[in-house]
Amino acid sequence: MAAELLEFGYLFVVLALTGAVALKLGLSVIPLYVVGGVVVGPYVAGRFGLPYVANGEVVALLAEVGIVLLLFFLGLEFSLDRLRAAQSNIGRAGAIDLVVNLPLGVAIGLALGWTLVEAFLLGGIVYISSSAIVTKTLIDLGWIADPESEPILGTLVFEDLAIAVYLAVVTSLVLGGEGGLVVIGRSLAIAFGFLGVLLVAVQYGTGLFTRVLDVENEEAFVLRTLAVVIPIAGAALALGVSEAVAAFFVGMGFSTSGHRETIERRLTSVRDVFAAIFFFWIGLGTDPTLLAAAAVPLVVAVVLTTPAKVFSGYLGGRVYDLSTHRSLRVGVGLVPRGEFSLVIAALAASGSTQVMREVIPAFAVGYVLVMSALGTVLMQRSDLVERLVFRGGSAGPDT
Amino acid sequence: MTVYESDLPGVGKKHEVELDDGSRLVIVTHNTGKREVFRRESADSDSERLFELSDDLARQVGTLLEGAYFQPVKTTDIETLLGGNTLLEWVEVGTESDVAGKTLGESDLRQVTGASVIAIERGDEVITSPGGDAVIEAGDMLVVIGPRDACRDFVSLVKGV
Repeated sequence: MAAELLEFGYLFVVLALTGAVALKLGLSVIPLYVVGGVVVGPYVAGRFGLPYVANGEVVALLAEVGIVLLLFFLGLEFSLDRLRAAQSNIGRAGAIDLVVNLPLGVAIGLALGWTLVEAFLLGGIVYISSSAIVTKTLIDLGWIADPESEPILGTLVFEDLAIAVYLAVVTSLVLGGEGGLVVIGRSLAIAFGFLGVLLVAVQYGTGLFTRVLDVENEEAFVLRTLAVVIPIAGAALALGVSEAVAAFFVGMGFSTSGHRETIERRLTSVRDVFAAIFFFWIGLGTDPTLLAAAAVPLVVAVVLTTPAKVFSGYLGGRVYDLSTHRSLRVGVGLVPRGEFSLVIAALAASGSTQVMREVIPAFAVGYVLVMSALGTVLMQRSDLVERLVFRGGSAGPDT
Repeated sequence: MTVYESDLPGVGKKHEVELDDGSRLVIVTHNTGKREVFRRESADSDSERLFELSDDLARQVGTLLEGAYFQPVKTTDIETLLGGNTLLEWVEVGTESDVAGKTLGESDLRQVTGASVIAIERGDEVITSPGGDAVIEAGDMLVVIGPRDACRDFVSLVKGV
Protein backbone atom coordinates (compact mmCIF):
# COMPACT_ATOMS: atom_id res chain seq x y z
CA MET A 1 0.00 0.00 0.00
CA ALA A 2 2.83 2.39 0.89
CA ALA A 3 4.37 2.04 -2.57
CA GLU A 4 1.04 2.70 -4.26
CA LEU A 5 0.31 5.73 -2.12
CA LEU A 6 3.75 7.11 -2.80
CA GLU A 7 3.26 6.59 -6.53
CA PHE A 8 -0.11 8.30 -6.34
CA GLY A 9 1.52 11.20 -4.51
CA TYR A 10 4.08 11.37 -7.33
CA LEU A 11 1.20 11.71 -9.80
CA PHE A 12 -0.25 14.68 -7.95
CA VAL A 13 3.15 16.35 -7.61
CA VAL A 14 3.60 16.14 -11.39
CA LEU A 15 0.06 17.45 -12.02
CA ALA A 16 0.64 20.35 -9.64
CA LEU A 17 3.97 21.21 -11.25
CA THR A 18 2.72 21.02 -14.84
CA GLY A 19 -0.36 23.00 -13.80
CA ALA A 20 1.91 25.68 -12.34
CA VAL A 21 3.89 25.83 -15.58
CA ALA A 22 0.67 26.20 -17.59
CA LEU A 23 -0.52 28.98 -15.32
CA LYS A 24 2.83 30.75 -15.54
CA LEU A 25 2.93 30.57 -19.33
CA GLY A 26 -0.77 31.32 -19.74
CA LEU A 27 -1.32 28.03 -21.58
CA SER A 28 -4.12 25.52 -21.30
CA VAL A 29 -3.40 22.85 -18.69
CA ILE A 30 -4.61 19.99 -20.89
CA PRO A 31 -1.55 19.49 -23.14
CA LEU A 32 0.79 19.98 -20.19
CA TYR A 33 -0.92 17.32 -18.07
CA VAL A 34 -0.59 14.95 -21.02
CA VAL A 35 3.10 15.75 -21.42
CA GLY A 36 3.58 15.31 -17.68
CA GLY A 37 2.03 11.84 -17.94
CA VAL A 38 4.27 10.90 -20.88
CA VAL A 39 7.44 12.06 -19.13
CA VAL A 40 6.92 10.29 -15.78
CA GLY A 41 5.16 7.31 -17.35
CA PRO A 42 6.54 3.83 -18.04
CA TYR A 43 7.68 4.70 -21.58
CA VAL A 44 10.02 7.56 -20.68
CA ALA A 45 10.92 7.63 -16.98
CA GLY A 46 10.42 3.85 -16.83
CA ARG A 47 12.79 3.19 -19.73
CA PHE A 48 15.50 5.33 -18.22
CA GLY A 49 15.23 3.45 -14.94
CA LEU A 50 13.85 6.47 -13.12
CA PRO A 51 10.94 6.30 -10.69
CA TYR A 52 7.79 6.24 -12.78
CA VAL A 53 4.02 6.06 -12.41
CA ALA A 54 2.73 2.72 -13.66
CA ASN A 55 -0.26 2.65 -15.95
CA GLY A 56 -2.25 0.70 -13.39
CA GLU A 57 -5.90 -0.08 -12.85
CA VAL A 58 -6.43 2.56 -10.18
CA VAL A 59 -5.28 5.42 -12.37
CA ALA A 60 -7.32 4.03 -15.27
CA LEU A 61 -10.43 3.89 -13.08
CA LEU A 62 -10.00 7.44 -11.82
CA ALA A 63 -9.36 8.59 -15.39
CA GLU A 64 -12.64 6.92 -16.37
CA VAL A 65 -14.40 8.97 -13.68
CA GLY A 66 -12.73 11.99 -15.27
CA ILE A 67 -14.30 11.20 -18.65
CA VAL A 68 -17.68 10.69 -17.02
CA LEU A 69 -17.52 14.01 -15.15
CA LEU A 70 -16.27 15.91 -18.21
CA LEU A 71 -19.26 14.74 -20.20
CA PHE A 72 -21.61 15.19 -17.24
CA PHE A 73 -20.63 18.86 -17.07
CA LEU A 74 -21.06 19.18 -20.80
CA GLY A 75 -24.61 17.92 -20.44
CA LEU A 76 -25.17 20.27 -17.55
CA GLU A 77 -24.31 23.29 -19.72
CA PHE A 78 -26.21 21.92 -22.64
CA SER A 79 -29.85 22.71 -22.88
CA LEU A 80 -32.21 21.71 -25.62
CA ASP A 81 -34.09 24.96 -25.04
CA ARG A 82 -30.95 26.94 -25.75
CA LEU A 83 -30.36 24.99 -28.93
CA ARG A 84 -33.97 25.51 -29.96
CA ALA A 85 -33.89 29.24 -29.17
CA ALA A 86 -30.94 29.92 -31.45
CA GLN A 87 -31.90 27.06 -33.70
CA SER A 88 -31.36 28.45 -37.13
CA ASN A 89 -27.95 30.05 -36.61
CA ILE A 90 -26.37 27.46 -34.34
CA GLY A 91 -27.85 24.70 -36.45
CA ARG A 92 -26.50 26.07 -39.72
CA ALA A 93 -23.06 27.03 -38.43
CA GLY A 94 -22.79 23.70 -36.60
CA ALA A 95 -23.93 21.70 -39.63
CA ILE A 96 -21.31 23.39 -41.84
CA ASP A 97 -18.66 22.59 -39.23
CA LEU A 98 -19.80 18.95 -39.14
CA VAL A 99 -20.04 18.30 -42.88
CA VAL A 100 -16.65 19.88 -43.59
CA ASN A 101 -14.50 18.45 -40.81
CA LEU A 102 -15.83 14.99 -39.94
CA PRO A 103 -15.83 13.65 -43.53
CA LEU A 104 -12.39 15.17 -44.09
CA GLY A 105 -11.00 13.18 -41.15
CA VAL A 106 -12.73 10.00 -42.37
CA ALA A 107 -11.28 10.56 -45.85
CA ILE A 108 -7.77 10.97 -44.43
CA GLY A 109 -8.17 7.70 -42.52
CA LEU A 110 -9.42 5.84 -45.59
CA ALA A 111 -6.59 7.30 -47.69
CA LEU A 112 -4.15 5.85 -45.15
CA GLY A 113 -5.65 2.45 -45.84
CA TRP A 114 -7.48 2.20 -42.52
CA THR A 115 -10.82 0.43 -42.04
CA LEU A 116 -14.03 2.42 -41.97
CA VAL A 117 -14.32 2.26 -38.17
CA GLU A 118 -10.70 3.38 -37.74
CA ALA A 119 -11.24 6.22 -40.20
CA PHE A 120 -14.42 7.20 -38.38
CA LEU A 121 -12.45 7.45 -35.14
CA LEU A 122 -9.94 9.71 -36.86
CA GLY A 123 -12.83 11.80 -38.21
CA GLY A 124 -14.16 12.38 -34.70
CA ILE A 125 -10.75 13.29 -33.30
CA VAL A 126 -10.13 15.97 -35.93
CA TYR A 127 -13.73 17.20 -35.94
CA ILE A 128 -14.28 18.10 -32.32
CA SER A 129 -12.84 21.39 -31.07
CA SER A 130 -11.82 21.82 -27.46
CA SER A 131 -14.50 23.64 -25.47
CA ALA A 132 -12.07 24.08 -22.58
CA ILE A 133 -9.16 25.56 -24.55
CA VAL A 134 -11.31 27.66 -26.90
CA THR A 135 -13.37 29.17 -24.07
CA LYS A 136 -10.29 29.91 -21.98
CA THR A 137 -8.55 31.62 -24.90
CA LEU A 138 -11.68 33.63 -25.78
CA ILE A 139 -11.70 34.99 -22.24
CA ASP A 140 -7.92 35.58 -22.11
CA LEU A 141 -7.89 37.51 -25.38
CA GLY A 142 -11.07 39.46 -24.64
CA TRP A 143 -12.79 38.08 -27.76
CA ILE A 144 -15.55 37.05 -25.40
CA ALA A 145 -16.92 40.61 -25.60
CA ASP A 146 -16.90 40.71 -29.41
CA PRO A 147 -19.55 39.35 -31.78
CA GLU A 148 -17.34 36.46 -32.94
CA SER A 149 -17.73 34.75 -29.57
CA GLU A 150 -21.37 33.94 -30.35
CA PRO A 151 -20.86 31.72 -33.41
CA ILE A 152 -17.78 30.17 -31.78
CA LEU A 153 -19.62 29.20 -28.60
CA GLY A 154 -22.73 28.29 -30.60
CA THR A 155 -20.72 25.91 -32.77
CA LEU A 156 -19.24 24.34 -29.64
CA VAL A 157 -22.76 23.72 -28.33
CA PHE A 158 -23.67 22.00 -31.58
CA GLU A 159 -20.49 19.93 -31.42
CA ASP A 160 -21.39 18.85 -27.89
CA LEU A 161 -24.62 17.33 -29.15
CA ALA A 162 -22.94 15.85 -32.22
CA ILE A 163 -20.24 14.25 -30.09
CA ALA A 164 -22.87 12.65 -27.84
CA VAL A 165 -24.51 10.97 -30.82
CA TYR A 166 -21.11 10.17 -32.33
CA LEU A 167 -19.80 8.51 -29.14
CA ALA A 168 -22.96 6.45 -28.82
CA VAL A 169 -22.47 5.09 -32.33
CA VAL A 170 -18.70 4.68 -32.23
CA THR A 171 -18.69 2.93 -28.85
CA SER A 172 -20.93 0.27 -30.32
CA LEU A 173 -18.75 -0.01 -33.41
CA VAL A 174 -15.53 -0.33 -31.41
CA LEU A 175 -16.78 -2.57 -28.63
CA GLY A 176 -18.86 -4.61 -31.12
CA GLY A 177 -15.49 -5.41 -32.62
CA GLU A 178 -15.16 -7.80 -35.47
CA GLY A 179 -18.43 -9.53 -34.76
CA GLY A 180 -19.90 -8.51 -38.07
CA LEU A 181 -23.03 -6.60 -38.91
CA VAL A 182 -25.35 -8.59 -36.68
CA VAL A 183 -23.30 -8.00 -33.54
CA ILE A 184 -22.81 -4.33 -34.37
CA GLY A 185 -26.52 -3.99 -35.16
CA ARG A 186 -27.41 -5.55 -31.84
CA SER A 187 -25.02 -3.37 -29.85
CA LEU A 188 -26.31 -0.27 -31.64
CA ALA A 189 -29.86 -1.31 -30.77
CA ILE A 190 -28.89 -1.79 -27.11
CA ALA A 191 -27.08 1.58 -27.11
CA PHE A 192 -29.96 3.53 -28.53
CA GLY A 193 -32.47 1.59 -26.46
CA PHE A 194 -30.60 2.35 -23.25
CA LEU A 195 -29.93 5.97 -24.15
CA GLY A 196 -33.51 6.43 -25.33
CA VAL A 197 -34.85 5.19 -21.99
CA LEU A 198 -32.34 7.42 -20.20
CA LEU A 199 -33.36 10.43 -22.28
CA VAL A 200 -37.03 9.89 -21.48
CA ALA A 201 -36.11 9.40 -17.81
CA VAL A 202 -34.20 12.67 -17.61
CA GLN A 203 -36.92 14.53 -19.52
CA TYR A 204 -39.64 13.40 -17.13
CA GLY A 205 -37.51 12.82 -14.07
CA THR A 206 -36.71 16.47 -13.40
CA GLY A 207 -38.85 16.40 -10.26
CA LEU A 208 -36.98 13.40 -8.96
CA PHE A 209 -33.58 14.97 -9.68
CA THR A 210 -34.70 18.11 -7.89
CA ARG A 211 -35.78 16.17 -4.81
CA VAL A 212 -32.63 14.06 -4.70
CA LEU A 213 -30.48 17.17 -4.56
CA ASP A 214 -32.70 19.11 -2.21
CA VAL A 215 -30.23 19.17 0.62
CA GLU A 216 -28.38 22.05 2.24
CA ASN A 217 -25.35 20.08 3.39
CA GLU A 218 -22.56 20.49 0.85
CA GLU A 219 -21.03 17.08 1.38
CA ALA A 220 -24.35 15.31 1.02
CA PHE A 221 -25.05 17.30 -2.14
CA VAL A 222 -21.75 16.31 -3.79
CA LEU A 223 -22.11 12.66 -2.81
CA ARG A 224 -25.69 12.44 -4.05
CA THR A 225 -24.73 13.93 -7.41
CA LEU A 226 -21.93 11.39 -7.83
CA ALA A 227 -24.23 8.63 -6.60
CA VAL A 228 -26.53 9.31 -9.53
CA VAL A 229 -24.02 9.97 -12.31
CA ILE A 230 -21.44 7.27 -11.75
CA PRO A 231 -23.73 4.24 -11.31
CA ILE A 232 -25.69 5.18 -14.45
CA ALA A 233 -22.45 5.58 -16.42
CA GLY A 234 -21.25 2.25 -15.05
CA ALA A 235 -24.50 0.51 -16.01
CA ALA A 236 -24.16 1.93 -19.50
CA LEU A 237 -20.61 0.63 -19.89
CA ALA A 238 -21.65 -2.79 -18.56
CA LEU A 239 -24.13 -2.97 -21.43
CA GLY A 240 -21.49 -1.88 -23.94
CA VAL A 241 -23.00 1.61 -24.20
CA SER A 242 -20.92 4.77 -24.04
CA GLU A 243 -20.56 5.76 -20.37
CA ALA A 244 -19.66 9.26 -21.54
CA VAL A 245 -22.95 9.73 -23.37
CA ALA A 246 -24.92 8.33 -20.45
CA ALA A 247 -23.20 10.90 -18.21
CA PHE A 248 -23.99 13.62 -20.75
CA PHE A 249 -27.70 12.74 -20.60
CA VAL A 250 -27.71 12.68 -16.81
CA GLY A 251 -26.11 16.12 -16.91
CA MET A 252 -28.91 17.30 -19.21
CA GLY A 253 -31.41 15.98 -16.69
CA PHE A 254 -29.78 17.89 -13.85
CA SER A 255 -29.52 21.08 -15.89
CA THR A 256 -33.27 21.66 -15.68
CA SER A 257 -33.57 20.61 -12.04
CA GLY A 258 -32.84 24.12 -10.77
CA HIS A 259 -29.62 22.88 -9.17
CA ARG A 260 -27.38 23.51 -12.15
CA GLU A 261 -25.46 26.42 -10.68
CA THR A 262 -25.02 24.72 -7.33
CA ILE A 263 -23.64 21.62 -9.04
CA GLU A 264 -21.25 23.73 -11.06
CA ARG A 265 -20.08 25.58 -7.99
CA ARG A 266 -19.63 22.54 -5.79
CA LEU A 267 -18.43 19.91 -8.24
CA THR A 268 -16.17 21.86 -10.59
CA SER A 269 -13.12 21.14 -8.45
CA VAL A 270 -14.09 17.46 -8.21
CA ARG A 271 -14.34 17.31 -12.00
CA ASP A 272 -11.05 19.15 -12.44
CA VAL A 273 -9.19 16.68 -10.23
CA PHE A 274 -10.50 13.64 -12.11
CA ALA A 275 -10.14 15.30 -15.52
CA ALA A 276 -6.51 16.11 -14.70
CA ILE A 277 -5.94 12.44 -13.86
CA PHE A 278 -7.60 11.52 -17.15
CA PHE A 279 -5.22 13.72 -19.18
CA PHE A 280 -2.28 12.43 -17.19
CA TRP A 281 -3.42 8.84 -17.76
CA ILE A 282 -3.59 9.49 -21.51
CA GLY A 283 0.04 10.55 -21.27
CA LEU A 284 0.97 7.44 -19.26
CA GLY A 285 -0.32 5.23 -22.05
CA THR A 286 1.54 7.10 -24.78
CA ASP A 287 4.77 5.58 -26.04
CA PRO A 288 6.67 8.44 -27.71
CA THR A 289 8.29 5.99 -30.12
CA LEU A 290 4.80 5.17 -31.39
CA LEU A 291 4.45 8.82 -32.32
CA ALA A 292 6.88 8.01 -35.11
CA ALA A 293 4.42 5.47 -36.50
CA ALA A 294 1.71 8.10 -36.32
CA ALA A 295 3.90 10.81 -37.87
CA VAL A 296 2.48 10.56 -41.38
CA PRO A 297 -1.20 10.72 -40.40
CA LEU A 298 -0.28 13.45 -37.92
CA VAL A 299 1.38 15.73 -40.47
CA VAL A 300 -1.33 15.10 -43.06
CA ALA A 301 -4.07 15.78 -40.52
CA VAL A 302 -2.52 18.99 -39.18
CA VAL A 303 -1.90 20.36 -42.67
CA LEU A 304 -5.39 19.55 -43.94
CA THR A 305 -7.66 19.97 -40.93
CA THR A 306 -6.34 23.34 -39.77
CA PRO A 307 -7.40 25.25 -42.90
CA ALA A 308 -10.59 23.17 -43.10
CA LYS A 309 -11.60 24.25 -39.59
CA VAL A 310 -10.75 27.89 -40.35
CA PHE A 311 -12.83 27.67 -43.52
CA SER A 312 -15.87 26.03 -41.93
CA GLY A 313 -15.70 28.49 -39.02
CA TYR A 314 -15.47 31.38 -41.48
CA LEU A 315 -18.65 30.18 -43.18
CA GLY A 316 -20.25 29.80 -39.75
CA GLY A 317 -19.39 33.41 -38.97
CA ARG A 318 -20.98 34.50 -42.24
CA VAL A 319 -24.15 32.63 -41.23
CA TYR A 320 -24.25 34.99 -38.23
CA ASP A 321 -23.89 37.96 -40.64
CA LEU A 322 -20.47 38.87 -39.31
CA SER A 323 -17.90 40.79 -41.37
CA THR A 324 -15.23 38.83 -43.25
CA HIS A 325 -12.70 39.98 -40.67
CA ARG A 326 -14.72 38.67 -37.73
CA SER A 327 -15.78 35.51 -39.58
CA LEU A 328 -12.16 34.59 -40.13
CA ARG A 329 -11.63 34.89 -36.40
CA VAL A 330 -14.51 32.49 -35.81
CA GLY A 331 -12.60 29.98 -37.94
CA VAL A 332 -9.32 30.57 -36.16
CA GLY A 333 -11.09 30.39 -32.81
CA LEU A 334 -12.28 26.84 -33.45
CA VAL A 335 -8.87 25.38 -34.32
CA PRO A 336 -7.79 24.17 -30.83
CA ARG A 337 -8.56 20.49 -30.20
CA GLY A 338 -8.33 18.96 -26.78
CA GLU A 339 -10.27 16.96 -24.24
CA PHE A 340 -12.86 15.34 -26.51
CA SER A 341 -10.31 14.19 -29.07
CA LEU A 342 -8.59 12.45 -26.16
CA VAL A 343 -11.88 10.92 -24.98
CA ILE A 344 -12.26 9.41 -28.46
CA ALA A 345 -8.65 8.21 -28.34
CA ALA A 346 -9.31 6.48 -25.01
CA LEU A 347 -12.24 4.72 -26.66
CA ALA A 348 -10.09 3.70 -29.63
CA ALA A 349 -7.51 2.22 -27.28
CA SER A 350 -10.07 -0.37 -26.16
CA GLY A 351 -10.53 -1.52 -29.76
CA SER A 352 -9.32 -4.70 -31.34
CA THR A 353 -7.00 -3.72 -34.19
CA GLN A 354 -3.41 -2.57 -33.94
CA VAL A 355 -4.30 0.78 -35.52
CA MET A 356 -6.95 1.38 -32.86
CA ARG A 357 -4.85 0.24 -29.93
CA GLU A 358 -1.58 1.95 -30.83
CA VAL A 359 -1.63 4.30 -33.81
CA ILE A 360 -4.83 6.25 -33.08
CA PRO A 361 -4.08 7.00 -29.39
CA ALA A 362 -0.53 8.10 -30.25
CA PHE A 363 -1.90 10.12 -33.16
CA ALA A 364 -4.51 11.76 -30.94
CA VAL A 365 -1.94 12.76 -28.33
CA GLY A 366 0.36 14.25 -30.97
CA TYR A 367 -2.57 15.93 -32.72
CA VAL A 368 -3.93 17.48 -29.53
CA LEU A 369 -0.48 18.71 -28.49
CA VAL A 370 0.03 20.36 -31.89
CA MET A 371 -3.50 21.70 -32.33
CA SER A 372 -3.92 23.06 -28.81
CA ALA A 373 -0.68 25.03 -29.17
CA LEU A 374 -1.20 25.96 -32.83
CA GLY A 375 -4.81 26.97 -32.23
CA THR A 376 -3.94 29.19 -29.30
CA VAL A 377 -1.05 30.82 -31.18
CA LEU A 378 -3.22 31.42 -34.25
CA MET A 379 -5.82 33.09 -32.04
CA GLN A 380 -3.21 35.29 -30.38
CA ARG A 381 -1.75 36.25 -33.78
CA SER A 382 -5.02 36.39 -35.68
CA ASP A 383 -3.89 39.68 -37.23
CA LEU A 384 -1.14 37.79 -39.09
CA VAL A 385 -3.60 35.12 -40.20
CA GLU A 386 -5.87 37.83 -41.55
CA ARG A 387 -3.07 39.47 -43.50
CA LEU A 388 -2.07 36.10 -44.90
CA VAL A 389 -5.60 35.17 -45.93
CA PHE A 390 -6.67 38.54 -47.26
CA ARG A 391 -3.27 39.27 -48.87
CA GLY A 392 -2.37 42.61 -47.36
CA GLY A 393 -5.86 43.96 -46.88
CA SER A 394 -7.02 43.54 -50.48
CA ALA A 395 -10.29 42.20 -49.09
CA GLY A 396 -11.29 45.81 -48.66
CA PRO A 397 -13.77 47.16 -46.19
CA ASP A 398 -15.91 44.90 -44.13
CA THR A 399 -19.13 43.89 -45.72
CA MET B 1 -30.77 53.67 -24.75
CA THR B 2 -30.68 50.13 -26.08
CA VAL B 3 -29.29 47.16 -24.16
CA TYR B 4 -28.51 43.97 -26.07
CA GLU B 5 -28.42 40.69 -24.19
CA SER B 6 -26.91 37.46 -25.46
CA ASP B 7 -26.06 34.04 -24.08
CA LEU B 8 -22.47 32.84 -23.87
CA PRO B 9 -22.85 29.07 -23.41
CA GLY B 10 -20.40 27.76 -20.84
CA VAL B 11 -19.30 31.27 -19.90
CA GLY B 12 -22.29 33.34 -18.84
CA LYS B 13 -24.14 36.29 -20.31
CA LYS B 14 -23.19 39.38 -22.25
CA HIS B 15 -24.90 42.77 -22.16
CA GLU B 16 -24.07 45.58 -24.55
CA VAL B 17 -25.13 49.15 -23.74
CA GLU B 18 -25.17 51.73 -26.49
CA LEU B 19 -23.45 54.94 -25.38
CA ASP B 20 -24.15 58.46 -26.66
CA ASP B 21 -20.98 58.62 -28.77
CA GLY B 22 -21.90 55.47 -30.71
CA SER B 23 -19.49 53.22 -28.81
CA ARG B 24 -20.74 50.34 -26.70
CA LEU B 25 -20.12 49.29 -23.15
CA VAL B 26 -19.90 45.49 -23.03
CA ILE B 27 -20.48 43.73 -19.73
CA VAL B 28 -19.66 40.03 -19.56
CA THR B 29 -21.12 38.32 -16.49
CA HIS B 30 -19.36 35.01 -15.92
CA ASN B 31 -21.15 32.03 -14.37
CA THR B 32 -18.62 32.36 -11.56
CA GLY B 33 -20.03 35.82 -10.78
CA LYS B 34 -17.02 37.70 -12.11
CA ARG B 35 -17.87 40.77 -14.26
CA GLU B 36 -15.66 42.00 -17.04
CA VAL B 37 -16.35 45.41 -18.52
CA PHE B 38 -15.20 46.30 -22.01
CA ARG B 39 -15.69 49.26 -24.32
CA ARG B 40 -16.04 48.83 -28.07
CA GLU B 41 -15.33 51.99 -30.03
CA SER B 42 -17.34 51.05 -33.13
CA ALA B 43 -18.96 47.98 -34.64
CA ASP B 44 -15.71 47.10 -36.44
CA SER B 45 -13.24 47.65 -33.68
CA ASP B 46 -12.14 45.21 -30.99
CA SER B 47 -13.41 45.51 -27.47
CA GLU B 48 -10.98 46.97 -25.03
CA ARG B 49 -11.01 45.51 -21.55
CA LEU B 50 -11.56 48.29 -19.02
CA PHE B 51 -11.68 46.41 -15.72
CA GLU B 52 -12.99 43.34 -13.98
CA LEU B 53 -14.81 43.00 -10.69
CA SER B 54 -15.70 40.16 -8.38
CA ASP B 55 -19.39 39.50 -7.76
CA ASP B 56 -19.42 41.38 -4.43
CA LEU B 57 -17.48 44.36 -5.73
CA ALA B 58 -19.64 44.57 -8.86
CA ARG B 59 -22.81 44.80 -6.76
CA GLN B 60 -21.23 47.49 -4.58
CA VAL B 61 -20.08 49.54 -7.56
CA GLY B 62 -23.45 48.98 -9.21
CA THR B 63 -25.33 50.54 -6.29
CA LEU B 64 -22.96 53.49 -6.33
CA LEU B 65 -23.54 54.04 -10.03
CA GLU B 66 -27.26 53.76 -9.46
CA GLY B 67 -27.03 56.68 -7.02
CA ALA B 68 -28.34 54.83 -3.98
CA TYR B 69 -25.93 56.59 -1.63
CA PHE B 70 -25.71 60.07 -3.10
CA GLN B 71 -27.90 61.99 -5.50
CA PRO B 72 -25.98 64.94 -6.92
CA VAL B 73 -29.00 67.27 -7.05
CA LYS B 74 -27.19 70.46 -6.16
CA THR B 75 -23.59 71.43 -5.73
CA THR B 76 -22.01 74.86 -5.58
CA ASP B 77 -20.89 74.58 -9.17
CA ILE B 78 -23.75 73.28 -11.22
CA GLU B 79 -24.23 74.96 -14.54
CA THR B 80 -26.43 74.09 -17.43
CA LEU B 81 -25.92 75.36 -20.91
CA LEU B 82 -29.24 76.42 -22.38
CA GLY B 83 -28.02 76.67 -25.93
CA GLY B 84 -26.03 79.41 -27.56
CA ASN B 85 -24.08 81.24 -24.89
CA THR B 86 -26.69 81.30 -22.13
CA LEU B 87 -26.02 79.59 -18.82
CA LEU B 88 -28.26 78.58 -15.97
CA GLU B 89 -26.13 78.55 -12.83
CA TRP B 90 -26.43 77.83 -9.12
CA VAL B 91 -24.33 80.07 -6.87
CA GLU B 92 -23.99 79.84 -3.10
CA VAL B 93 -23.70 83.14 -1.21
CA GLY B 94 -20.57 83.04 0.95
CA THR B 95 -20.51 84.42 4.52
CA GLU B 96 -17.93 87.03 3.49
CA SER B 97 -19.95 88.05 0.44
CA ASP B 98 -20.63 91.80 -0.02
CA VAL B 99 -24.19 91.15 -1.09
CA ALA B 100 -25.16 89.15 2.01
CA GLY B 101 -27.77 91.10 3.96
CA LYS B 102 -28.67 93.41 1.05
CA THR B 103 -31.83 93.29 -1.01
CA LEU B 104 -31.60 92.37 -4.68
CA GLY B 105 -32.35 96.02 -5.54
CA GLU B 106 -29.56 97.34 -3.30
CA SER B 107 -27.00 94.90 -4.62
CA ASP B 108 -27.79 95.98 -8.18
CA LEU B 109 -26.34 92.67 -9.43
CA ARG B 110 -28.23 92.71 -12.72
CA GLN B 111 -26.96 96.15 -13.67
CA VAL B 112 -23.37 95.35 -12.65
CA THR B 113 -23.01 91.85 -14.13
CA GLY B 114 -25.80 91.37 -16.66
CA ALA B 115 -27.04 88.13 -15.08
CA SER B 116 -30.46 87.87 -13.41
CA VAL B 117 -31.47 86.01 -10.28
CA ILE B 118 -34.52 83.88 -11.12
CA ALA B 119 -34.86 82.05 -7.81
CA ILE B 120 -33.44 81.96 -4.30
CA GLU B 121 -33.19 78.61 -2.52
CA ARG B 122 -33.00 78.93 1.25
CA GLY B 123 -32.99 75.58 3.00
CA ASP B 124 -36.16 73.84 1.87
CA GLU B 125 -37.76 77.10 0.82
CA VAL B 126 -37.63 78.41 -2.72
CA ILE B 127 -38.43 82.05 -3.61
CA THR B 128 -39.21 82.13 -7.29
CA SER B 129 -38.94 85.32 -9.38
CA PRO B 130 -37.70 87.35 -6.40
CA GLY B 131 -38.47 91.10 -6.51
CA GLY B 132 -36.07 93.96 -5.87
CA ASP B 133 -36.97 93.94 -2.16
CA ALA B 134 -36.00 90.29 -1.60
CA VAL B 135 -33.13 90.04 0.90
CA ILE B 136 -30.07 87.93 0.09
CA GLU B 137 -28.67 86.01 3.06
CA ALA B 138 -25.38 84.20 3.52
CA GLY B 139 -25.87 80.52 2.67
CA ASP B 140 -28.57 81.21 0.08
CA MET B 141 -28.36 79.38 -3.22
CA LEU B 142 -29.05 81.83 -6.06
CA VAL B 143 -30.29 80.46 -9.37
CA VAL B 144 -28.94 82.73 -12.04
CA ILE B 145 -29.45 83.05 -15.77
CA GLY B 146 -27.39 85.04 -18.22
CA PRO B 147 -24.60 85.09 -20.79
CA ARG B 148 -21.53 83.02 -19.90
CA ASP B 149 -19.31 86.02 -19.03
CA ALA B 150 -22.03 87.68 -17.02
CA CYS B 151 -22.52 84.52 -15.00
CA ARG B 152 -18.78 84.30 -14.34
CA ASP B 153 -18.70 87.89 -13.05
CA PHE B 154 -21.76 87.20 -10.94
CA VAL B 155 -20.18 84.16 -9.32
CA SER B 156 -16.98 85.95 -8.34
CA LEU B 157 -18.92 88.88 -6.96
CA VAL B 158 -21.40 86.88 -4.92
CA LYS B 159 -19.02 84.25 -3.58
CA GLY B 160 -16.95 87.07 -2.14
CA VAL B 161 -13.60 85.94 -3.44
